[in-house]
Amino acid sequence: MGEEKGDFEPKIVGFTCNWCTYAGADLAGTSRKKYPPNVRLIRMMCTARFDPMFALKALLNGADGVFISGCHPGECHYIKGNFYARRRIAAMRTILKQLGLDNRVKSYWISASEGDKFATTMKNITEEIKAVGPNPVRDEIL
Amino acid sequence: MKGTELNYGDLEGVLKGLLESKAVDCLIMPRRVGNSVSYMLVRDKDKITAPESAIFAPSFGVNAANIVKGWLIDEKVGIVAKPCETRAAIELIKLTQLKEDSVLLITVDCAGTYANEVYAANYADIGDQVDSAKIKELAGKGISIRDACTICENRLADVGDIAIAQANGEKAVVAGLTDKGVEALTAAGLSLEDKDLEREAEKEQIAAEAKANLEALPKIDSEAALEEFLRDCIVCKNCRDVCPVCYCKDCFFDQPLGNPAGGDLLNLAETRGAVAVPANQLLYHLTRVYHVCTSCVACGACEDACPKDIPLTRYYPVITKKVQEIFEYVPGKDVKEPLPFTTYEDDELEECLK
Repeated sequence: MGEEKGDFEPKIVGFTCNWCTYAGADLAGTSRKKYPPNVRLIRMMCTARFDPMFALKALLNGADGVFISGCHPGECHYIKGNFYARRRIAAMRTILKQLGLDNRVKSYWISASEGDKFATTMKNITEEIKAVGPNPVRDEIL
Repeated sequence: MKGTELNYGDLEGVLKGLLESKAVDCLIMPRRVGNSVSYMLVRDKDKITAPESAIFAPSFGVNAANIVKGWLIDEKVGIVAKPCETRAAIELIKLTQLKEDSVLLITVDCAGTYANEVYAANYADIGDQVDSAKIKELAGKGISIRDACTICENRLADVGDIAIAQANGEKAVVAGLTDKGVEALTAAGLSLEDKDLEREAEKEQIAAEAKANLEALPKIDSEAALEEFLRDCIVCKNCRDVCPVCYCKDCFFDQPLGNPAGGDLLNLAETRGAVAVPANQLLYHLTRVYHVCTSCVACGACEDACPKDIPLTRYYPVITKKVQEIFEYVPGKDVKEPLPFTTYEDDELEECLK
């Protein structure tokens, strides 16, 4: 509340798939890679479980950033779950871009072996969301 | 394409023939009541009188597809409606809310429509039928077609099973667009010959005008603009109820999580300090625009139904069109084309995820 741009600790909600990105986060942890503690992960069995309403609800409840991350396309544990997810995420982000709400939403593909990439991505998203500033809805009555 | 040119007076016989020959078990079609036009469901052919005074009428009340939404019956329903209504019905077939074999979609050319109450009030000026010149003339008198119609690129009857196209003079071309349509027309006693109904030049002109009108609509391009736009929304969900492609039997926003009340709402207020009530206004519209994003046929029924006169055409059709563009999908164009969310390509859409 009343925090300045760049000078606040954002809250970032991440929707990650069990088999790739969540395992990637695990690898980052066991490899002792440091990444900012601003990220809260929500584990799903597959990005295909991601309903765009999850992101909308998180944003409207004051999350400063939201990201979705799963297996690289073509490497889904369930063969094609993330292909469907990619279409839904693309549709959601196309809607949010037009409404000027997409700057708090990111999507990545991070595999179980990419602990490094996970840590770097988390650093980057935290910096990017810090630059965007606190989510104004936190101070609003919605 | 197989079709035939008829006088307006012959259309009554064609529609009666469809019922009589059992090509359809019933017809949902416009009927005239004084200055107004509304739909009726007919089983007795004798109830059809002078359909030419109603089926071309530039009046939009409800989307006819919304009437048959979820009708999973075996009887064959013929639907005489405008292109946007037929396209919505085709989306419903793909969404398994309508049986393809149980409908006969009869599409009538449309030049643009007036909200039904505007049409009735100005019937003396508008008449039974309009063309683009008449629409411009009436706009000069302050009688304007619906915003949704000004941005419509698909006003000519080129979808469904049968097309009823306007020809010069008091004449119409009735053509079968599918085998089912040709069969039905033949059963109704028409002898069909080869007809050219492509009308490419006219379609291009309509599309160009529509695109320019869409560009001219005020944009909702920031969170502040969206909140301002929806400020007067009372979350009555009328826009959902009249939407032909919003079809969930149990809408999330009728359930405790989407429509919190009592203690649930108190808990939310406890967490956030205060909540706006009725709750979930923004979440409702953001979720709904995603839910209809591939199937919205831009009929504008949502705007007509809004009791607070929120110009929803600037929101639903405009926002969903961009989504349809990334999937190169035109809702209702082809019943065989899969819905975008039920298919995928191996390598696609990366630019949308940046």
